[in-house]
Amino acid sequence: MKGLTNLLLLLLATSQLAIAQTQYQDLLADEQNGDDWLSYSGGYKSHRFSPLNQVNTDNVDQLKVIWAYQMQATGVSGSGLQETTPVVADGIMYLTESPSSVTALDARTGRLLWHWAPDISNEVLNIGFPRINRGVAILDETVYVATLDARLFALDAGTGAVRWEVDVADNSLGFSLTLAPLALDGKIIVGVSGAEAGVRAFIDAYDSATGELIWRTYTVPAPGEPGSETWQGDDWQTGGGSTWLTGSFDAELDTLYWTTGNPAPDWNGDLRPGDNLFTCSVLALDPDTGEMRWHFQYTPHDTHDWDANQIPVLVDGEFEGQQRKLLALANRNAFYYLIDRETGEFLLGEAYSYQTWAEGIDDNGRPIVIPNTEPTREGNIVWPSLQGATNWFSPSYNPLTEQFFVSNRRMGAKYYKSDVEYEPGKPFLGGGEQALDGDDASGAIVALDVMSGKFQWEFILQSPPWSGVMATSGGLVFGASNEGSFFALDGQTGNALWNFNSGAHIRTNPMGFAVDGQQRVAVIGGRTLFVFGLE
Amino acid sequence: MVRKSLLVTLSKVGYLLWGLSLSHVAVAQDAGSVFNDLSEDDILIGQSVFQVQCARCHGMLGEGGEGPSLTRPQLTHASDDSQLMSVIRNGIAGTGMPGSWQMSEPHVLRTAAYVRTLGMLPPELMPGDSLSGASIYASKGNCASCHILNGEGKGVGPELSTVGLRRNAEYLRQSVINPDLDQPKVVSRRAGTLNAFLTVRIVSELGVYEGLRINEDEFSVQMRDLNGRIYSFEKSKLSSYEKAFGHSLMPGYGAALTEGEVNDVVSYLMTLKGEN
Repeated sequence: MKGLTNLLLLLLATSQLAIAQTQYQDLLADEQNGDDWLSYSGGYKSHRFSPLNQVNTDNVDQLKVIWAYQMQATGVSGSGLQETTPVVADGIMYLTESPSSVTALDARTGRLLWHWAPDISNEVLNIGFPRINRGVAILDETVYVATLDARLFALDAGTGAVRWEVDVADNSLGFSLTLAPLALDGKIIVGVSGAEAGVRAFIDAYDSATGELIWRTYTVPAPGEPGSETWQGDDWQTGGGSTWLTGSFDAELDTLYWTTGNPAPDWNGDLRPGDNLFTCSVLALDPDTGEMRWHFQYTPHDTHDWDANQIPVLVDGEFEGQQRKLLALANRNAFYYLIDRETGEFLLGEAYSYQTWAEGIDDNGRPIVIPNTEPTREGNIVWPSLQGATNWFSPSYNPLTEQFFVSNRRMGAKYYKSDVEYEPGKPFLGGGEQALDGDDASGAIVALDVMSGKFQWEFILQSPPWSGVMATSGGLVFGASNEGSFFALDGQTGNALWNFNSGAHIRTNPMGFAVDGQQRVAVIGGRTLFVFGLE
Repeated sequence: MVRKSLLVTLSKVGYLLWGLSLSHVAVAQDAGSVFNDLSEDDILIGQSVFQVQCARCHGMLGEGGEGPSLTRPQLTHASDDSQLMSVIRNGIAGTGMPGSWQMSEPHVLRTAAYVRTLGMLPPELMPGDSLSGASIYASKGNCASCHILNGEGKGVGPELSTVGLRRNAEYLRQSVINPDLDQPKVVSRRAGTLNAFLTVRIVSELGVYEGLRINEDEFSVQMRDLNGRIYSFEKSKLSSYEKAFGHSLMPGYGAALTEGEVNDVVSYLMTLKGEN
């Protein structure tokens, strides 16, 4: 703790910041606290919304770079892509660098405080995704990072020294961890990647102090368990259902919401008949036991790799005349869904992007699938492409205007089916995809009315995006593009009010914080973190 | 045994595709090749994977298209078998060749073995006289007014010093006669497959501009005109911005050149392999 103490003294001497450790109570208040950004999505409800308004529609054109940080070289090949969201706690920024390193910076100046890099082999398996990491969790005086080789580390927040580590799963089978963990009261929640290798995925809760496993909930049921009737034979053992994106938490309902990915193999559904529960779903879990309270499956028997690993956004408000607690999710399958998060009841499913696979969503929330939209041996063109109408990158919800913003990919693909046999630690896919021509594809930042899913406006992007959005109470929506633009849109109209060429593709989510009373907005372009402000 | 199995495969695949008899096929197989244990069926599996995963750019017969022809004994980035498999797995940085994480290792192996059989096929015959073609390139065709070749010429259209490695005779013929039909593409991992020489027409308050798109994002577009001048426009200040898909700024030479002259130019382009 000596390192942390030294830093506190430095900051106190120069900026009079009140420093405290990040407690569970702080995480509960994260949404209202504009100075800090304590968790991946900026609060348990995953709004990715900054309550700060110093930067607003009137002055955003004066936004400028305050400082930048260039990420460090690594000996692990293929780890140049960055998808992390930094967190900021009491004037210190913690971010991950690919594949699984952690960096602590002085949030005021960007100067390095410490850097920690785990020993990861160049031979590490990452089947179906790049060698990236999406960020840390912070709780008390500890920073938590999940690694590409499927371990979970607890690091001292002041120095980066390891407090404990655990093996979450066996990387040689294709298990991997890329997500930002979620810190609850005394627990650290993580999920796994690996459906492209035919793993049977799960969600884990670890004791934040000791690393002891508290519970594990599998997303594919074993024979006899609820949902097992949607599988045949031994298919469940290689059924996939990855849990690779950070979930959300409702403290009042004491319920954890976590999403799941595709069944395995991806594109040959003949090899796994049935709905394949609980893949492509959102699960409501008891955070103390992992027990499943309800589930909702967005894409039964998925054959297009349309993971439901998108951010579940928790929204409270009036739906059709009734005050409700809702879960909003813009799915990779091109539909926007509202679900009652107390009961799991399906309420709404509206297409928010061009798609050719379903006539709509029926009253029970089940897609009305158009015949002959499955992958074939000759290839079958379907919209959206396997990367979906959106993907892992975060949407944003502005509770002041009840608007839901999402980065939208507009691209079709030709889907193929092929034979495949399961081999441990090998790709288990059963087909492939050819994306249609890029000049026919595009993207957009789209604004929806959160309660109806009705389209409000769009800001057209040059190509299908791979970066998220953040709305602010200054009336802005920050977004980014493959082409390297970082921009601010007017939340009411979608008009661009400011833009900055970062010089490299952007594949991260924006986030915001404040230091010395100055609002900051951060994004990563290529391998460089840019922090913007007015002065 | 290996040699035999590959020969048998070639007799089936190569004969069907190219109308060649076995006696025309020269096989040069490394004694220690990783492909040695593969059977004829394995090569056919490799062919079917190739047609799904690779043919879009390299052509159904490996004859090239958006990507280079693979019907060559020596591939620029894959001089041996392990390099070839590495290229299939990981792609080639800085080019349009993506990695193929989705392919299993057995499929990579079989696809690589199939690609090697393509290289055992004899080179394409030239349809005309390449020396005469070189003369037409320099005079009647006036090709250097838009193309750089071995450092000479104006850089508007594609650089041609190695075009003979990358394009087959049919593609080159079409490019000379009717360049509108199939324009060069570039594969961007993030943006997908894009027209590399897209014609754009831009109207601003300063005038009307036509040229080739160099780059573009949400807010600006960069363009090169036929004189090689580079422009940058802010999209918000344009009166109109048109992307002329299917229209090449290169004129078709079907009327200007005789059939024989076209064959000569195509032959000359086939000789351009970066060896000068």
